[in-house]
Parts: sequence; structure tokens; C-alpha cells
Amino acid sequence: MSFSTSEIRNIDGCRLAETCRFLEKMGLKYEGGAEVTVNLYDDDENIVGTGSLCGNILKYIAVDDSLQGEGGAASIVSRLVSIAYMSGRRRLFLFTKAQNEFLFRSLGFFTLASTDEVVYMENSRNGLSSYLDSLEKGTGIQGAVVANCNPFTLGHRYLMETAAAQVDTLHVFIVSEDASDFSFRDRFEMVRRGTRDIMNLILHESGDYIISHSTFPTYFIKSTQDAASINAELDLTLFGKRIAPALGITKRFVGSEPYCVVTNAYNEMMKKLLPTYGIEVIELPRKDGISASMVRKAIREHDDALLKSLLPTTSLEYIKERGIEL
Amino acid sequence: MKITTTGVAGTMESSDIIITIEPKDTDGISLELESDVKTQYGNQIRNVILDTLKDIGVESAYVTAVDKGALDCTVIARTQAAAYRAAECKHYIEG
Repeated sequence: MSFSTSEIRNIDGCRLAETCRFLEKMGLKYEGGAEVTVNLYDDDENIVGTGSLCGNILKYIAVDDSLQGEGGAASIVSRLVSIAYMSGRRRLFLFTKAQNEFLFRSLGFFTLASTDEVVYMENSRNGLSSYLDSLEKGTGIQGAVVANCNPFTLGHRYLMETAAAQVDTLHVFIVSEDASDFSFRDRFEMVRRGTRDIMNLILHESGDYIISHSTFPTYFIKSTQDAASINAELDLTLFGKRIAPALGITKRFVGSEPYCVVTNAYNEMMKKLLPTYGIEVIELPRKDGISASMVRKAIREHDDALLKSLLPTTSLEYIKERGIEL
Repeated sequence: MKITTTGVAGTMESSDIIITIEPKDTDGISLELESDVKTQYGNQIRNVILDTLKDIGVESAYVTAVDKGALDCTVIARTQAAAYRAAECKHYIEG
């Protein structure tokens, strides 16, 4: 069977509609974000394959059964990879079902972590190990905190201070993905300023190796409820199996989550999974019930008195200095 | 030839190979090869890539190759093209 390839930037209109219909037929659901789409068409202009590049993630890859084994997926993936390289995106990732791991392995992708439902892959054998090599190392008993800090509150400060007092080195990973109200640069800088006095704390960027729910695609997962727990399991497996042992982390600290059901479920999963990798999970009570969403609301409403009770002065000053509005 | 940026050439389609060449701070070529026929022809493909790079004077680079059963002539052409792109070199050097 012969097919022709077509490259579409910011797909919309009837091309998007036909792509969505095709994805649906293949059991996938389009959920936005395609920057470049590569579609395959047969001689009668019917769509028989598709794949998209969203940031540095390959998504929505599907090939009609009639084309299986004809190199359809290979031609979509190589085209997307070339497009990504040409726009300076060298490190690429994808999430796929376990049964497709073999296919993507033959297309130059390597498995970072896998669960029964999903596999997370990168287009380099040593992407993760060079990330881990690049991180500053600690000594003695080492713990970790993973946080978004959107923005850095007194609650985060309490969690990190308390955690740091219980270990020789505390590694703090700040989620690098820019999907929050505060940019990564702002969040990182607020944490840096707010923890400068905690001498045994090392701050890291999470890179692409902490899988937040904004990165995690759910288009191939049947129900959204499953998606959250599959996401959590994948992220914790990657942390427990690869990241923690490389740094010698044996404790993970987390704030209790009384408000958000999804985060609470994540914490519960953490308590179940991480001990199987020899990592003790320590849940600390949330200080005065402070949450970052409360802070964002206070910023929007210009409630300065409330903000003073929620943020450390370093964050207050930073927000004022940068004139950050939400 | 000095590698200054990322250069890529080829595809992952059958009978082709995709080669990516990136700058490396230290001397030597670090080559990562993935191939469906690695057991049978892995060494041969590696040698062709390394010889091609040597011929055009590339002494330090990270090279990633995903092979789909390319013939030697294809491997040579893709390696050269990727290297020229990675060196931002416009003039063809007789190998």
C-alpha cells in the first residue's frame, strides 16, 4: 500500500476534524496541544496515520491496521523527530501503552519507566543518567522533597525546614514545567531566596523526569480517574527506581493534603510504592492549612494582610520587586 | 572538522539510517547504535560510521544512529550529511 505524507503546523479546521475522527477510530482522544502534525494519506486521500509534536513530547501516534508493518509509524516518527531537531528540540519523550514499547524501541526510544498501563520513553539511552550526573550530590542520610511552589509559601518553607532537620542532605526538586501561574524561573528563584539559610538543602530542576499531571497525556487512557493514578504510579516508579538510588535518597517528605483529592491520592500511592524501593515516606502535617491556591487567590484580590500570613518575606519581596500580577 | 551544533540526516524508514551528531567537550567519538540487525551487522555499521567520520576529520562528537537496515553507502552518505550539518560546513571535503 502506498501513502503520502503531509506536514501540518497548528492543525485546525477540517484537517483537525478528520484527524480527531481518525484518532477516535483508533481508540484515542485528541486533547489539544499539537504544534506540528504529520498525517499519512492513502491514494484516495483517506487519512491512514497520524502523529504530533507537542513541545518535546510526541503524541497522538496512530496508524491504520491496513498499514501496520508497512513502516507507517516509522515514517511519522522520523518526520516528527527531524522537525523537532530542526527547531532545536534535541531531547524528545513519549508516553505509550506497554504493547507499543517494542515499536518505539526500534525507532530509537529508550524506556525511562514503565507500569502495567504505560511506558515513558526518551530518545536517548543516557538522557536520564547524564541529568543525574549533572546534579549536585549530598552526603550521609539523604531525603527529598518534590514541589511546584506556585508560589513558595510558609507551608513549603516549613516542610523543607522540618525535612532538612531530619537528614544530612535534603534534595529539593522544583517542577520545571511551565504550566503554572508563576513561571519556573520565578518559582525557582523564590525557593532559592527562601531557603538560602538552610545549609544542607540542594535545589534541583526536575527536568523531564518528574512527571507532573500537566505533562502526562491522558489521550490513550479510558477514564480520567485512572489517568491520575497511572500518572502517579509512573512518576513514583521513575523516582524510586532511577532517581533516588542515583543520589542515595532514602527518605521522601511530603506535606499532608487535606484539600485536593488528586494530590491526596498521589500521597497515598507514594506511601504504598516508595517503600518497595527502600524509601521511607514521611508525611508532615500541613502548616496552618496554608495552600498555594489560597495565596494565588489573595494575590488576585490584593489581600496584603492575608498574604503576609501565608508567604515568607522573601517571596513577598520577590513578587513586589517583579511586579507579578495574576 | 569541528562539530558546533546538532546535525541530523536520514530517516527511520526501511533501508535507511538516521544519524545525529552533537558537540562533545572531550576528544573521541561516543557512538550509540540501535539497529534491528545489530547482532549480525552492528560492528560493521559502527566501523563504517567511525571510518567516515575519521575520513572527514571529525575527532570529537556524540553520535546516535538508529539503523533500519541501511546499506554501507547509505550509512556513509547519512554520516557525512549529519557531520556537515553539525559542523555548519558548506563546502564539501573530498573524503
